Amino acid sequence: MTPHRRSELVPGTLEMLILRTLSLGPNHGYAISQQIARLSSDVLQVEQGSLYPALERLLSSGLVKAAWGTSPTGRKARFYTITASGRKRLDAEVSAFDHVALAIARVLGRAEPA
Amino acid sequence: MSWLDGLSHRLRSFLFPGRQARELKDEFAFHLEQDERHHRLDAARARRRFGNPTVRREEVRAMTWGGRLDVIRQDLDHLRHAVLRDPGSVLLIVVTLSLGIGANAATFAVFDRAFLRNPAGVREPDGVRRFWIEHTRTGDGVPFRAQSLSYQMYRVLAGATGHPGNIALFATDFALHLGTGLSGPRVGAVYATSNYAQVLKVPIAQGRFFGPAEDRMGEDAGVVVVSHRFWLRHLQGKSAPLGDSITVGRRHYRVIGVMASGFIGLDLRAADLWIPLAAMPRSEGAGPRWWEEPVDYPFRAVARRPGGLEEPGFEERASRLMRSYQRETFKEHADTMVRVFVGPLIEARGPVPLGQDMVIMTRLVGVSVIVLLIALANVINLLLMRAEARRREIAVRLSLGIGRVRLVRLLILEALVLATIAGIGATTLGWAGGTVLRRLLFSFVEWTEPALDGRVALFTVAITFVAGLLAGIPPALQASRPNLTAALKSGARQGVRERAFLQRGLVVAQAALSVILLVGAALFVTSLGKVRALDLGYETRRLVVGTVEHADGDAPAAPAFEARARDVATRMAGVPGVEVVARTSIVPMWGYASTKFYTDRDSAESIPRPWPVYVSVTPEYFDAVGLRVVQGRTLSSEDGAPEVVIDEAMARGVWPGRNPMGQCLRLATRDAPCHTVVGVVGNSRLSYVIEPETTPRYYVRLDQKGIGGGPPGPVILARARPGTAALVARELRAELTAAFPGAAVEASTMRDRLDPEYRPWELGAILFSMSGALALVVAVVGLYSIVAYQVKRRTHEFGIRIALGAMTADVISQVVRSGVGTVAVGVALGLAISLAGGRLVSSMLFGVTAANPAVLAGVAAILLAAACFAAAVPAWRAARVDPAIALRDD
Repeated sequence: MTPHRRSELVPGTLEMLILRTLSLGPNHGYAISQQIARLSSDVLQVEQGSLYPALERLLSSGLVKAAWGTSPTGRKARFYTITASGRKRLDAEVSAFDHVALAIARVLGRAEPA
Repeated sequence: MSWLDGLSHRLRSFLFPGRQARELKDEFAFHLEQDERHHRLDAARARRRFGNPTVRREEVRAMTWGGRLDVIRQDLDHLRHAVLRDPGSVLLIVVTLSLGIGANAATFAVFDRAFLRNPAGVREPDGVRRFWIEHTRTGDGVPFRAQSLSYQMYRVLAGATGHPGNIALFATDFALHLGTGLSGPRVGAVYATSNYAQVLKVPIAQGRFFGPAEDRMGEDAGVVVVSHRFWLRHLQGKSAPLGDSITVGRRHYRVIGVMASGFIGLDLRAADLWIPLAAMPRSEGAGPRWWEEPVDYPFRAVARRPGGLEEPGFEERASRLMRSYQRETFKEHADTMVRVFVGPLIEARGPVPLGQDMVIMTRLVGVSVIVLLIALANVINLLLMRAEARRREIAVRLSLGIGRVRLVRLLILEALVLATIAGIGATTLGWAGGTVLRRLLFSFVEWTEPALDGRVALFTVAITFVAGLLAGIPPALQASRPNLTAALKSGARQGVRERAFLQRGLVVAQAALSVILLVGAALFVTSLGKVRALDLGYETRRLVVGTVEHADGDAPAAPAFEARARDVATRMAGVPGVEVVARTSIVPMWGYASTKFYTDRDSAESIPRPWPVYVSVTPEYFDAVGLRVVQGRTLSSEDGAPEVVIDEAMARGVWPGRNPMGQCLRLATRDAPCHTVVGVVGNSRLSYVIEPETTPRYYVRLDQKGIGGGPPGPVILARARPGTAALVARELRAELTAAFPGAAVEASTMRDRLDPEYRPWELGAILFSMSGALALVVAVVGLYSIVAYQVKRRTHEFGIRIALGAMTADVISQVVRSGVGTVAVGVALGLAISLAGGRLVSSMLFGVTAANPAVLAGVAAILLAAACFAAAVPAWRAARVDPAIALRDD
């Protein structure tokens, strides 16, 4: 049974955003969702729950690591850290994204043809 | 090592699923708490923003190994239920598929050995080529191809390749007896040139193969290389067999090597000894330097590529050389049309038309495929019905959100599981069937490996998988898109039409395929009947033939020989059950003698072909073998003027339009004494049960001086009273054994001796009849279950009809008509295909053509009758429906 992903993001994009967030430093799930919302100036709204399956996918492929720690508010929380191959993947994803985004922009007449 | 991080994470969540669930729960709780605090939300609002935590947890779980395992566990659970539910239909499916797959496994086991597999033990077998020579038959000029070569022709071929060392010559003799005398076990021996093992790249397990020094023509080096199994069986697998001696007849051979295990020569029949070609005994009538004579053709040749064979135009060049050799050697009848062909090592794939048994073999492949197709059609139908019966369950699953892909996968898996069970049964069937089949088809072969080996097993697995997929996909696709609302409604009866169409299509296909097999069966049975009814000219069932064979040089001198044979004949005449005893020199239909002859008017050259041949017999011969006297009398038993009896064909050929009685026949020379024709007898077969033309025959007395009685193999013929043939044969064997100690003695009816010739016809009839009957049963069962199923679905409707006053007969006839109608379409289709495909079997038929109206009509009638029966039983049940019960039924 595969429930529908209700995120309005292109599949795979959420993982890229999480990696980007974590590249700034380790963080727990809630903070990651807040940061994505903030960084995108609240344009990209993530259904909060769908964050965790995405995190599980990243954990399983060894792109992030998780460990229990204490949050700034003194609560026990699970902190995620990006791994070396996570960074590599992020770079690759970003450059691929740039490539596609530029191409789309050209088609839409928003960028100079190469 | 990031991938290690991933792996350890997967392992942790797999091994401690409880901890993972707890952690997720804590994490979600933390998240919600944070959200409430940060945005000052109430708990309900925060939960809405978060989404359904159970769904998320399941989503995470599905990604772990544990999650995958859950799916497999559920699937297995489902499969277990599916297989255990409705064991009747499961059994039917498994048995039907087993038969279909088993038939193919059995056929493959034999087909593989004869057509697909290179002889065992030969390294890089694709590089080895066989040679075929096309000759032109003298007389009718029909070309025929054979592998037979004389030693001189081999020299020509070796010259043509330019690499004489790369082409090996060999002859296989299966008539040798181990030990002195003829009482020892028979062994197959290969006489080969010394490069044989090297050309074939056969490894030698111990010792060595013989070398050129041991293969100088005219010298017998007395060495032998034995097969691995011979070493185990006859030399007790001793660690040092080399130097041991083997006796074959009067010759002793020193064992110098043991072949690699598995190698049994290049024929289907296994050979055990390899002896230098130079030591080959010369055949009868050949001079001491037999290899220089151009008349003996016992050899075959193999060569390894490239060795000159790859050069363009090799076959043309070799043919040219062979032709010029023929022209020089046979100045009188130069066979100038000789051609050389190079073919693959697998004999059956050579450039020669296949023998009858091989043709049957290839057609059997087609038959078993048809049987499998019928089985498949039936199984698809049964699976459709199973799926139909579970319509509501499937609809419930779909509406609860099972993915269609997973549902289809489950249903296909179900079919695969059933196919696998069937495959296990099929393996057993295939092993048993393959064993029987190869004993039937290749009775002369002593098989060294079991009928079921790795290749056959692999083939069975592959075909099982394909069959499972083919059977599973259509029902799965059908079942996975039901009309949900209709299916979920209790007592719904919609959605039948489309499925019924598919089911009817399958019944049509089954009927058509059954017709094809039954037409084949009927044609073979008719052919067999016609062949059996052929009049050979001999009373074959009651004629007991006794023969004596001596080892080289063991035979007593001719007069003693003759006297003993006469004694045996005299004693046999007194045995109860014996009607008459005769002697001759050659077993009827097992050879003949011919010589030139002259009549008073014609020269021998003007006698039309085929050339008359003669038989030397005692006067009782005609009576004993059952030859009909047409005119005059048979040979007299008193000494007197030379006499001859001729047959009708000779009378017509030599004295056309004239009375042959009293005519003169001079044998061998123009001035020989006159043999007066004293009688004319009926024609008889020369060599084969089926002969395109009758060869004229004349009969002279066995003790006739001058032309000789042919080679001195005394043959005793005893005609037995009906029902006593076996007894007489035993008696004759005992008499001959007593009279000729040490000789190989044989006594059996002529019908038994001819059995191999009838066998292909019997085989074709048996195999096609069996598969035809099988197909008919499967098709009838299939039709029955479909009609029964449809009747059950329409119980409600029949109830209403009967309640409204429909007659029982109306209901029955309606059901039967629809069932038989479907089959009729299939029958028409099958008849059309049979007519079109008739030429594929026409070469295997005798006295009947594929388009035989009686056969076609008979098969159609059988199938339609079977269809009536299959439909009538459920129809009758439908007609007895109690309306009250039917209407209550949902």
